[in-house]
Amino acid sequence: MPSGFRNSTRFLLAQSRIKQEMLQPRTRSRFRFPLVLGVVLLLRAAIACATPTPITHGTLELVSDKQWIQSGHSFDLALRFELENGWHIYWVNPGDSGEPPRVEWQLPKGISAGAIEWPTPRRLGSESVVDYGYESSVLLIVPMHSETTLAAQPSTQLSAHVKLLVCSHEMCIPGKADLSIALPVKTAAAPEQDGMRQLFAAAHASLPRPAQEWKFTVVDAKDAFVIDATRVHQADHSDHANPRPGLTQKVTREATQANFFPLEELQIDNAAEQKLTLTGLGFRLAVQKSNQLQKPVDRLKGVLAIGDQGYLVDAPVRRSGEQKPGGTKTGAAVK
Amino acid sequence: MKRSNHYTTLVYITSACFFLVALALLAAQPLYAAATVGAAAPDFTGLASSGQTIHLADYRGKYVVLEWHNNGCPFVRKQYNSGNMQKLQKEWTAKGVAWFTILSSAPGKQGFATAGEENDFMAKMQAAPTAALLDPTGTIGHLYDAKTSPHMFVINPQGVVIYNGAIDDKPTTDLADVPGATNYVSLALEESMSGKPVATPVTRPYGCSVKYSDVR
Repeated sequence: MPSGFRNSTRFLLAQSRIKQEMLQPRTRSRFRFPLVLGVVLLLRAAIACATPTPITHGTLELVSDKQWIQSGHSFDLALRFELENGWHIYWVNPGDSGEPPRVEWQLPKGISAGAIEWPTPRRLGSESVVDYGYESSVLLIVPMHSETTLAAQPSTQLSAHVKLLVCSHEMCIPGKADLSIALPVKTAAAPEQDGMRQLFAAAHASLPRPAQEWKFTVVDAKDAFVIDATRVHQADHSDHANPRPGLTQKVTREATQANFFPLEELQIDNAAEQKLTLTGLGFRLAVQKSNQLQKPVDRLKGVLAIGDQGYLVDAPVRRSGEQKPGGTKTGAAVK
Repeated sequence: MKRSNHYTTLVYITSACFFLVALALLAAQPLYAAATVGAAAPDFTGLASSGQTIHLADYRGKYVVLEWHNNGCPFVRKQYNSGNMQKLQKEWTAKGVAWFTILSSAPGKQGFATAGEENDFMAKMQAAPTAALLDPTGTIGHLYDAKTSPHMFVINPQGVVIYNGAIDDKPTTDLADVPGATNYVSLALEESMSGKPVATPVTRPYGCSVKYSDVR
């Protein structure tokens, strides 16, 4: 389920066009420049590594979770946004307006970048225009992979060209940022970067995850998608004698705030209120369809935020009146 | 007989009550009728920056393009600073299309303009719509459920919405993206004028949010 989600994210965006280019000086050793150039590059890298780049109403920085790259291993880079109060950036589906940040990587041969891992967004906006995005501090993680063939070296430069749109409720300002980080490549296991552990842990925690404790079913109810969220009963030893009241209370507490964020555009009426009703072992969320929806939605994909936790949703949409899909797959479920 | 008459009266009164309640409920609905492709375009009356009053109904028999506008929005600036929007306005009005630029920004919000300011903007940019409609209350904007600037609509001579969405397929603020973009408005007009169905009748309108008075 998560990989499908990520794949579709990739399809939807294709924002991480990876350019694998060797960082070579443009002029070939005609001058005695290489040394000077090396020093300048290192200096620039050091500066880029140490200080966040100013962007409109905030700063942006490329950070790494590891102190160095271990050949043949994965690591995470992240775009660290710090935005001034009242300014925001956008989720992969920005909602009614706005655009998500897009990244073009310039990476040495042997290193490849994956797609951005988007944290659970928030609803932003007004009564009639609602967007999905992030305010204040946000870390957009990009999983990176290095080949086993990547040779050990004192420093390699990873660069990202970021196009972004920073908006307040009053205005939008487009921007661009050239970021880079220099990391050594070693064969030894890479320890965590100092001071980055908490930042990355919090960012990972803010990502939507597969729902183990919830089961989601979706019904197409003419003008709305009705999402039924049922708490999957897990053996709770601490409250074994009387699990239900506690569970119900917990559900009530969690479910008072639930929001569905569709991965694809034009499926739902972003600005419409999402009506929540408690159903004993869970809740039901009626999500108004977009009046621009051209054809039936076979699978509803997106993120369901229950309280602070986002869950990945990728569920077949059952037409109301249709039999529940049993042993045989329905046409709608096959895609 | 008398009894039956009473019955009929009761039925009449009850249905009248139901009708009134239904009417009241309808009236209570906000005018977020929206312009759905394939449905009749909601009618409106708008005040143009020229001082003229525009009734959409008067343009039945012509193609009509609606362009939501905010001259402070970088997505709109891309279209105007590249000259693309003006080019489209000139090209299509020359072919008999009525083109309305609509300003739904509330007073004090980005993109709000008085008649004079809008006329100055159009003169400076050499914009050539049929008219620029001042909609500071957001009435027309809400009627069409306009989300962004630019948000484009195309209405056919029968008064049916045939396109609702973005101006083109490059949701960026880069002027460099204009030449290579597929313009959905031109496509819809070209296809419809040559008797073909519009291949892409709905897209996500991209841009800045329309700065309605309810935008905090």
